[in-house]
Amino acid sequence: MELRYDVVVVGGGHAGVEAAAAAARVGVRTCLISPDLDRLGQMSCNPAIGGIAKGVVAREVDALGGVMGRATDASRIHFRMLNRSKGPAVWGPRAQCDRGLYPRAVRRILDEHASLDLVQDLVTGLELAGSRASGVRTRSGLRVRARAVVVTTGTFLRGRIHVGTHDTIPAGRAGEAPSLELATVLEEAGVELGRFKTGTPPRIDGRSVDYARVEVQPGEEGDFRFSALAWEDIPRQVPCWMTWTDERLVDVVGENLHRSALHGGALAGRGPRYCPSIEDKIVRFPDADGHKVFLEPEGLRSRELYVNGLSTSLPPEVQVAFLQTIPGLEEARVTRFGYAIEYDYAPPEQLRHTLELRALEGLWLAGQINGTTGYEEAAGQGVVAGANAALAVRGEGTFEPGRDEAYLGVMIDDLVTRGVDEPYRLFTSRAEFRLLLRQDNAVERLSGRAAELGLLTAGQVEQLEARARAREGLEEWLGGATLPAADANALLEAVGEAPVDQGVRAGELLARPAVDVEGLLAAAGASNDPRAAVPPEAKDQGWGAPWGVGHVVATERKYAGYVEMERKRAQALRRRSAVRLAEELPYGEFVTLSTEARQKLAAVRPGNLAQAGRIPGVTPADLQNLLLEVRRYEGHEKRPGSGEPAAR
Amino acid sequence: MDPDTIVAVATPPGPGGIGVVRISGAKADVVLGRLAPEAPLPEPRRASLRAICDPESGELLDRALVTRFPGPASFTGEDVVEISTHGGALVPRLVEDAARRAGARWAEPGEFSRRAWLNGKLDLAQVEALKAVIEARSPAAHRVAIHQLDGALSRRIAGLREALIGLEATLAHHIDFPEEDDAPIPVAEIGRRGRGLAGELAALLEVAPEGMLLRDGAVVVLAGAPNAGKSSLFNALAGEARAIVTPEPGTTRDALEVALSIRGFPFRLVDTAGVRAGAQGVEREGIEVARRALAGARCVLLCVPVGEDAGPEVEGFVEGLEVPVLRVRTKADRVAGDGSARDRAGATGRSGDGGADRIEALTVSAETGQGLGELRDRLAELAFGGLLGDGAPDPSGVVMQERQRRGIGAAAREVEAFARALDEGVPPEAASAHLGEAATALEGVVGVIDPEEVLDRLFASFCIGK
Ligand SMILES: Cc1cc2nc3c(=O)[nH]c(=O)nc-3n(C[C@H](O)[C@H](O)[C@H](O)COP(=O)(O)OP(=O)(O)OC[C@H]3O[C@@H](n4cnc5c(N)ncnc54)[C@H](O)[C@@H]3O)c2cc1C
Repeated sequence: MELRYDVVVVGGGHAGVEAAAAAARVGVRTCLISPDLDRLGQMSCNPAIGGIAKGVVAREVDALGGVMGRATDASRIHFRMLNRSKGPAVWGPRAQCDRGLYPRAVRRILDEHASLDLVQDLVTGLELAGSRASGVRTRSGLRVRARAVVVTTGTFLRGRIHVGTHDTIPAGRAGEAPSLELATVLEEAGVELGRFKTGTPPRIDGRSVDYARVEVQPGEEGDFRFSALAWEDIPRQVPCWMTWTDERLVDVVGENLHRSALHGGALAGRGPRYCPSIEDKIVRFPDADGHKVFLEPEGLRSRELYVNGLSTSLPPEVQVAFLQTIPGLEEARVTRFGYAIEYDYAPPEQLRHTLELRALEGLWLAGQINGTTGYEEAAGQGVVAGANAALAVRGEGTFEPGRDEAYLGVMIDDLVTRGVDEPYRLFTSRAEFRLLLRQDNAVERLSGRAAELGLLTAGQVEQLEARARAREGLEEWLGGATLPAADANALLEAVGEAPVDQGVRAGELLARPAVDVEGLLAAAGASNDPRAAVPPEAKDQGWGAPWGVGHVVATERKYAGYVEMERKRAQALRRRSAVRLAEELPYGEFVTLSTEARQKLAAVRPGNLAQAGRIPGVTPADLQNLLLEVRRYEGHEKRPGSGEPAAR
Repeated sequence: MDPDTIVAVATPPGPGGIGVVRISGAKADVVLGRLAPEAPLPEPRRASLRAICDPESGELLDRALVTRFPGPASFTGEDVVEISTHGGALVPRLVEDAARRAGARWAEPGEFSRRAWLNGKLDLAQVEALKAVIEARSPAAHRVAIHQLDGALSRRIAGLREALIGLEATLAHHIDFPEEDDAPIPVAEIGRRGRGLAGELAALLEVAPEGMLLRDGAVVVLAGAPNAGKSSLFNALAGEARAIVTPEPGTTRDALEVALSIRGFPFRLVDTAGVRAGAQGVEREGIEVARRALAGARCVLLCVPVGEDAGPEVEGFVEGLEVPVLRVRTKADRVAGDGSARDRAGATGRSGDGGADRIEALTVSAETGQGLGELRDRLAELAFGGLLGDGAPDPSGVVMQERQRRGIGAAAREVEAFARALDEGVPPEAASAHLGEAATALEGVVGVIDPEEVLDRLFASFCIGK
């Protein structure tokens, strides 16, 4: 049988789900093919979304009309704002989700998309028309023709699971078959593949834990929302627990190191340093007194606990033995054993900033297949790949968020211009504009563009406009309203800030570190409340809540000078980004560049001067010379009647 | 296409033992082959005698030692040929010209160093140090430059770079990993490390003024009334009759300048027109020139003959100057008695600071040389005091280039601002904007700081992995 679509998405993980949803929202006919339609958006590892930088990405995906924010709101059972004790620029929302509710919410949200079809199958072949991808073939013999193909197969390409040194099983993740044919097909199509590894900790039965011996970690009250533009019902909340390992665990793990797949040499690929196994931790930090272990519920109805911090590939009996050394887990029963997995990824230097392969038009890659790790990283790439695939089908340009616009932009630029040598994860330190890329202002940064691209529904656009009006109203009020000294001082005293001698502008009060919007509005009194002046739906915008527009305004006022410093540097970067570098530049002939720079530039073929500057091995001096070389080359190219064109 | 092969005489012109002609580029061997067609190419890195001939006429130009340094193990990283010719002005030029006609082109100024840098043979600090070696005017400047070429400055700057990376890693740990085994690093500790780094940057800068002077030479201006003995002193210090010395007032109309080494340090001594009331025409112009010369001075020598007064005109001339004015009693040979007696009453310090910083006057004689030794010591002390004595910094730490100084200065200010902001309660993630600026400022001096390096440091220092 043959089906025809504009965009076909292969794989229904976090990347695939977002890619399919984004393409469908842009309005092209889209098909998502995955082997199990009941596991769309399945969480392979810890059922948690967000964290520092990652939480900002989840908000960015949402600001682009994505699925992740809504599905998280609809399934979260424990929430904490990480870094709350620090400034709001680095707050990181993190939610523990119900492993069952999350995929159900994903499925429900996908089903809202009229131009998206779901097909349960495994993709085994790629259709090519010349040097273009033109569709896929499946195990059950389906041919799906499409103008754009997005591959998002996560850890499944030649996936192989390891438990101990003897037990290795081909698998995409526990209990699921790997994708073997597709790996071969991609290679045959000229896609280069590399090998990475990662691991997951054991799960235990919650009934076997001695809760008197572990520390309870309550979640935050209040209704934090990952989705600012669409409303979901938030489930009941439950606590997590924490305990510490001690030297007994070191002994057990140390004696059995040779039996670890990760340490015994059974595994070739590189793993992430920031997500080490317990074996790694003990080898690399032998003097540590102990390591934190978080016990995280897998769901409201599930009794299983995820043992965060103890990723391992030791044999089952050793896993049980080391778990039982941990206070509170003396009687622990394991429900699922930890394991390591190796898989193929496609080194991302092969991609353009749209995530389309340079060498094979019509084929986009997104998610873990690009050498990243993490649900949020995958989802973010999914939106960008899906949107670009749909835009390409329509011939409507591209969507390439900048490094000063989104962590998504930072991530994709890092991937494409620098490549990866371990699974890539986002940190705030990867972004040069930490203060601009906050969780609170994702909507302000991205939703306008999303609306232009058609990524938002009519309802979301309405919310966006209401939010903009609310912001305007608030800004106007802050600039105009003055609080009498008595009112201002009542507020200032309450939050522990120095008092004032005379009446003071509302805006100045908000710049004080400890003053928040809600407190300010309350102190100003009802007659002075800007909320009276804006449309009623904007009142639902959460105002002072960390996801609300009031919080955006407050944060920007508090950081004012510093945000300005970053804006200036961001502008300098923009100026460099404005110097476009043509794809066909003959870098080999640019003799004023160092040999290394010439090779790197020729391999990466950056789109602009700023990207060129981030390629390792390209120095500031190379950049200056590059600018001159490009000018000279272009002058030569453009000169009328200059004879033969310059060599390519 | 390969870069051009370039040629230049590498030794300064003038009489000397040998002249070195250096050729660099892919065709260096080809050029040598054309200059010495009779014999085979010498073995790499072994000096061999060759007859160097004109590539067109075949006429013998010189018998010279030829050494080949095939790239990348050469100064520029390219194939290099060095031809050591007989000295003098002519022979090296002839060989250079022959090499040009044999396929090389004349090198632009600094092009060899530039290629070395482009090929990763030298870092930016080393290139500038190399330039300074070539331009070094005095033994002290040379010593500093040689140290930098060794990479000592580079190493010191690299150390600072490491410290900056460490600070960023601490900050990244603080921000990105709040839930790890290691308790979050207290802000006060981050601030303390920031202060430490700012201190190191400032220390490097402290001797920067001397470093700049080492490169350019400290300007010392001789001023005084006509016939106050300025030109005689100038000549005595310069050791060569440069200025015309006559008893008639107003002989020196233009500022005369000579570069010289005093106690091993580079100086530029400037003689100026005498200052007097009622000067007209050319003489007036001369006084104007003198006034302008004062602007760039590191020190002024105010010459007043023993037993005379400077007079209001001359006093007015040096009044309000920012630079130290050292009063010199000239013509000591004209008076009897203890000529070396110090004339405390006649000394002026930095004008306007009420004598708190008064500098003693010296009595000298250009004729007998009396007091000149002491004057030299004082000048060296005044201009380069920071580099003398026991506590003197390692010369390698002397920041010499304006570009380096500006970069390090900006970085020092930003890191200091970072530490201060933390003290004021600004959250670290906001204050870190200053570190971003500091890294950018140092970029021109030490190269780019890559976020990957920060992460490398972070993962090496902390157990991460909730
Ligand atoms: C054992 C393990 C441990 C992990 N540990 C961590 C961790 O500690 N921290 C962290 O941040 N992240 C971790 N992850 C990573 C996280 O799960 C992934 O980054 C994320 O799920 C990637 O999303 P994705 O959409 O790219 O791929 P996946 O979520 O892997 O989804 C791939 C999808 O493609 C489908 N598929 C595969 N082949 C085909 C085919 N041929 N045809 C059709 N469909 C196909 C699969 O069925 C699946 O639905 C771990 C993953 C695993 C498996």
